Order: sequence, then C-alpha cells, then structure tokens
Amino acid sequence: MDESNHWYGHSRILGKYCGLSDEAPKRIQGFLQHGWNYLHGFPPNDHWTSPGYPRFIWSDVLRRRGWSMGRRGQYLIGAPWIYLLCLEPELGARPDREGTIWYPFHGWEKHSVSGDHARLADEIRNVEIGPVTVCLYWLEYANPDIRRAYQSRGFRVICHGERGSRWEGKGRDFLRKQLVELRRHRRVASNRLGSALFYGASVGCEVAVYGDPMQFDDERPEYGGTARRKRLWPELHGTHVDPELSSEVARRELGFEYQATPEELRRMFGWKRVRIQ
Amino acid sequence: MTVPTGHEAPENVRLIGGEMLLWSDTSGLGGVTEWRGAALELVRRMIPENGRVLLVGPHPRALVDDVAARAADTAVLLRSYPDSCELGERHPGLTVFCGRLEALAAEPYDLVLAMDGLLRTHSAEAPAAAWIESLEALAGLVALGGRLVLGVRNDLGVDRFIEARPADRECADDQWAPHGFDPSYPSGPEALGLGLEAAGLSVQRRYAAYPDRQSPRSLLSSEALECGLPEALTFPLSARDGGRMLVADPLRLTRLVFRHRLGEALAPLWLAVATRPPRGDGPATADELPLGLIEEGPALYELAAGGIRRLPGGQVRPIPGGRVVEEILVEACAREDVVTVRALLTELADWLDAGGDASAATDSLVYDGRRFAAADQPAAPAERPDPHVVLCRILWRFAVRLLAAGHHHPWPWPLEADQLALTLCGMAGRTCEPGDLDRARKLDAELGQPAELTEHAPTYRDLICTRDRLAGQLTAALARISRLEIKLSYRERELVRAKAKLRRTQRKATAYRRTLGYRLSRRLARPRKVARRVIRLLSG
Repeated sequence: MDESNHWYGHSRILGKYCGLSDEAPKRIQGFLQHGWNYLHGFPPNDHWTSPGYPRFIWSDVLRRRGWSMGRRGQYLIGAPWIYLLCLEPELGARPDREGTIWYPFHGWEKHSVSGDHARLADEIRNVEIGPVTVCLYWLEYANPDIRRAYQSRGFRVICHGERGSRWEGKGRDFLRKQLVELRRHRRVASNRLGSALFYGASVGCEVAVYGDPMQFDDERPEYGGTARRKRLWPELHGTHVDPELSSEVARRELGFEYQATPEELRRMFGWKRVRIQ
Repeated sequence: MTVPTGHEAPENVRLIGGEMLLWSDTSGLGGVTEWRGAALELVRRMIPENGRVLLVGPHPRALVDDVAARAADTAVLLRSYPDSCELGERHPGLTVFCGRLEALAAEPYDLVLAMDGLLRTHSAEAPAAAWIESLEALAGLVALGGRLVLGVRNDLGVDRFIEARPADRECADDQWAPHGFDPSYPSGPEALGLGLEAAGLSVQRRYAAYPDRQSPRSLLSSEALECGLPEALTFPLSARDGGRMLVADPLRLTRLVFRHRLGEALAPLWLAVATRPPRGDGPATADELPLGLIEEGPALYELAAGGIRRLPGGQVRPIPGGRVVEEILVEACAREDVVTVRALLTELADWLDAGGDASAATDSLVYDGRRFAAADQPAAPAERPDPHVVLCRILWRFAVRLLAAGHHHPWPWPLEADQLALTLCGMAGRTCEPGDLDRARKLDAELGQPAELTEHAPTYRDLICTRDRLAGQLTAALARISRLEIKLSYRERELVRAKAKLRRTQRKATAYRRTLGYRLSRRLARPRKVARRVIRLLSG
C-alpha cells in the first residue's frame, strides 16, 4: 500500500501481534501513522493517502482535528509501540537503570534540520548529571562532525538504524532496539516533543525537553510551530517534568486505550481473505 | 479555510488553549446563526452603560460591530484562529480570546452574549463537553446582576420537520462530535429554564425565534405565545428558505404549530435572557425587555400589550383580526368552491378600487368578513399604480404561491401562473390583459419580497411528483416497447414464412428448368428466334 507502513518495523510488529510470521510482512490495506504528530496523524500534504483506504491513527484528538480538516476514514488503533510492549513486556528490562538517553531532533531523507549540535551538546552537559547516551538518526550518525560534537563531550553515541522497508530487513528491529535502550536509561530527553519521548515515558523514563528546538528548512505553518507545542503541552517542557503526568500524557498520545485485538487488526488490514458474495 | 501565514496574531488576540488553527466558522459551513434586526434591537436594550460585554462564539458581523461600538468594554471568545485574527485586526480595541470556552478564565462580565449557542464553543483540540458543562462554564462568566443571552437550537423545532436532509447528519467537517447524542441538551423550553437555574441564573424572558434556526427574524416571548397570537402576526413566521430541500410545506406546518399553541415548544430556536441575581435582592425584573420583536422586510415591529408598534418610535396600533386572505382562498380552492373565490375576489377588487393598500398581498391581508386590513404596513410605492395592476399583481402572486405549494385547485386545464392570474382577474369581474400582467410583475419586483424564488432546491414533494411522473412515463414506454416487440416478432415470423415460400418456389423453378420437355422446347425455339431477328434487321 504505502512504504511508510513498513518503516521502523511497524508492519512486522503488528504482523507478529496478529500471529503472522515477521519474515515477510504483509501489505496493510490502509495507511499507518508512523510517528507522533500533532496535526491529524499525517503530514499536511497527505494527498498520497488515497481516500477510501483507512488511516490508522494513534489518538482521538488526531481524529477530531483530522475530521475538522476534512479527513475521513480514520480508525483508531493506537501506536505500533503499544503492540510491541504487549509482545515484549520484559525485553531489556533491568533494575539498575541509569543515565539519560538524548534524542536530538532529526531531519529525514528529504528535509534536513539546521541547528548547532556543539552548543546543544554543551547544554546537555550542563543539565545532565549521569552518563548520557545520544541517539542520532542514521543521517546525522553518518556525519562524523555531528558524531564528534557529542563524543568529544564524553557521550556515548548510538543509532537505532535506518527505518527500513517492506523488502529489506534493515528497519525490522528499530523499535526493539529503541525499547532496550529506553529500558536501560532512567531519563529520556530531547529538544522537541516527539515519538521517542513518549515511548520513553511509557516505559517509565523521566522526561525532559530543553535546548534549541532546531528548525526544519521549510517547516509547515499548519503545525503552528514550537509556540503551539509549548501551549499544548506546557507541563512537558523543562529539564524536570512530573513523571506521573508525563506517563499519563504518553498513554494518551500513544493511544493505549485504543489497542485493537489481533482479529480486529487482521480484518482491518485486509489480512484475512474475505469471500466476496 | 485559511492557512495561518507567517505573520503573528494581532496584539489584542490572546490564545487561551484549544484554539483551532486551520478552521473558520465564517466560511459558511454549518451556518452561524444569522441574527438580524430583531436580535440587534434586543441586545441594544441590554448593553450596560459602563459594563463589560463578552460575546461567546461566532456572531454575525453586524452584531459584533454594533456591540463593539456601543459597549464600553467588549471581549469576544472564538475558537477559530483565523477568525480571531481577522476580528482582532478589524477591531483593535476589542479583546479577542481564541480557544475553547472551558479554557477561558472566569472573569465577571455584565452582559454575556452566546446567541449562536454552545456547540461552536467546542474545539477539536479537546473532547466536546456536555451542554450542561459548557453552560456552567458560561454562567461562571456572568457577574452578579449581570445578564446572559443564550441561543439554543431546538432539536424538535418546526423547521426540523420539513427538512429532507438534516444538516447535522451530513458528516460535515464541523461534526467530529456530532450533535444529537448529548442527554444534557435541553429537551424543551422548561428544561432550558431548569438548566439555567441549575447554573445559578434566573430566567427573565424566554423567546421563541422564528421562522428558522438559521436566520431568525422574529422573537416572541413565552408570555406572548401563551395568550395566543392573531393570525395576522403568525402567518409571516413560516420558513421561506429556498436553500434546503424540504419534505413538507413550511407554511402549513407553522400555521398548525401556532393554532395548536405549540409556538414555544416547537420553535426552531430559543433565546433565553437570564440574570445572576444580586445577593439579597428580590427577583430581577424584566420590564424593559420587549414582549416580542418582529421583522418584516426592512421594518421592525415591537409587540406591546395593546398591539404592535413600528420601531423606532411608532405608535401602538391594534393588530387587525380575521383570517389571512390566502388561507381563505386556498381552502376554497381545496373545496373547489368557486363561488367563495369569486365573491372574495370581487370584494378585494372593490376594496382596491376604493383606495385599498397598493402594496397588499393575499399573504399579508386579513379579512374579518367585512373589511380587509393589512397585517403589516410595508412602504407603499412612490406613485399609486392603477388598481387594475395592483389587483393583477395580488392575484398573480397568489397564483404563483398556490401552484408552487402544490395545493389542489378547481381549474381543470394545465395552467401557468400567468394564465391562472388572468382567470382570477376575470373571476373578480375585472378584465386584465397580458400587458397589465407585465406591469404587475414589475410592481411585485419593485415592492420586494418576490413571490417567485429564483433558485430553490426542490422539495421532497416535488421529487415525489417527478418520480411519479417518470414512473408513469416509464410504464408507458415499457408498454410501448412490449407492443413493438410483439409486432416485431409477428413481422419476423411473416418474413421467415415469405422467405421459405420464395425458396420453395425457386427450387420448383430450377427443377422445372431441368426437365426434358423444357429443354427441348428451348432448343426448338432458338433457330426460330434467330431467323426472326435476321428478318427484322434486313427489313429495318
């Protein structure tokens, strides 16, 4: 259906949840929201999501907002992350969690981000007390200058890998790796609210959002910018955030209450052959 | 819908949470209640001299401008960010709060106007609050001794009965939480009153707004409706909206509503004026609030104890009694009672000859058995036209309305409104020519309120008529086809038979040519033929 359905191993996780092999993920008849978003679950220019196919989204606020913007056929199933947690309740869990995992806001294959990584690294050094792991997106990880900016300050620099596709296994363990790393650290931090932060909060990490939020080269005005994020989630911004509150927001944003049953997903994704009368 | 551009919001716009960035309530979708003269008059009487006024939800531009110009301190609450910016730029002196109602800090206001209701105070950014919760939040904004004016659309309003396609079930973009499932939404005027009292307010007046919830023109207090209103007043209160598909004749239904004294219970919309009683004082009085305000064309009338008066500053005059002429005529037509039609039209023509109102029409005249009187007094044309033309216009208008409403009538041949109008003139004992009709049409256009709607959606009844007609045509066409089929098979059979006969004859002929006798006779005949040809050549 669409390549983005298979990014970060999402289709494999959902397939496994539905009792299918994760070797060759099946085509999902619809569009899966692939990252946390505060518009309607998809980018503003979502003309590629053909009408008539469902849009599988994470939370109800996205449905309401999407509806007000003329989007229909939305179906709430929550984030693939919650299915991974359901499959792997213990993966990587350890009693001695320590340090902070830091996710600098990243660009992607078609848009890069402009910002000063050295200055950000200094700021992290000033705030964080324990050991720091910086997790970069593969594009930034491939840039030795950026890597050095963090390594030179004594940070461990890692990368969860590429996001992969249906046909190659590259991104298949992306979320699993991320889960292991998150369960290893006590804190998760970033310069922008994003999926990683909510994933972290959902597995018991403390949350922090600080530092230069960096800019996309051509950020869409529909999102309303950093100011809007701060208005919507003022309580999540800062170096120390109430853990109970962040975990509650994460549960809401990741749509824990919308977790579907395997049979429902098989039906919705078109994985069950339907005999046409 | 406007996408916010790079520019910042004006300084007087404050984002309070729940603001909708990519949304506009003024884009025509869903239709903000289009309050006009009557509501404006009511609001004007309530604006406190030095008090603070808050407008909650979208209101028509004219009303916002008027309030902003009259009140000492005005604030507006809107959910749409582009609308807020636009308003903030238009009125730099205004405070515009942008967001959802529940997020607004409770400061006291002397007058709170939420005339569009509470549904458009919800934002897609948060789950929709129940009506009663929104009302509590709204009531919290009313100062001691202050007032709240709240519009509530009636889910069982008379306009709902005539809709073929209910607007709030069309899955439009504003229905992410569709209306109609909230048990706390008022189920009647009493429930509305109880809701307001539960929120700590005391109701001063409840108005029923007519003719429809989209653009109410008249406000009638429950006190006025209880006494029963004369027909001259209630007749013009039916919906004339041509934009939506209807299932029934709105006029007839509204007439029944008033006749059954259900004017308040079945009003398309209620407008409640409530106050937060100051401590220690007795119940607040509502002396200055009008009993009713009625808008007819450009004129505005106030319903007073002894009759109606035209605003501004008109004298109170009694409301004429009697039945509406159009209704008498329609009833007579339904009974095929041409005698009554003839008598009434003759009297009408005499009345016009004797100087009757030139701008009258059958739908605005009442007749009490002796006299004709105009229910309202619209502006007469500058120079008085020929009574012939006036009569012609009245009857043409009646003809158009009669045919458009699909009423039964006794004239047997298929009629155009023009022909019917000329016939009716004849019945009144006046001979009118097509030239008079042209002038009559011109007069009608001049007077405004045209009888013919230029573009109107077909009513459900029209569609059923069309369907019946098409079904009839289809039956006829099918019968014709089947008849032609039978004919065709008969002809085909005949053709086959003829062909077989031809083939048989051809076979017989071939067999005959092969016989010895035939061949011998041909051989013997040939030399004789040649000899005959040679002789003809030599002799010729």
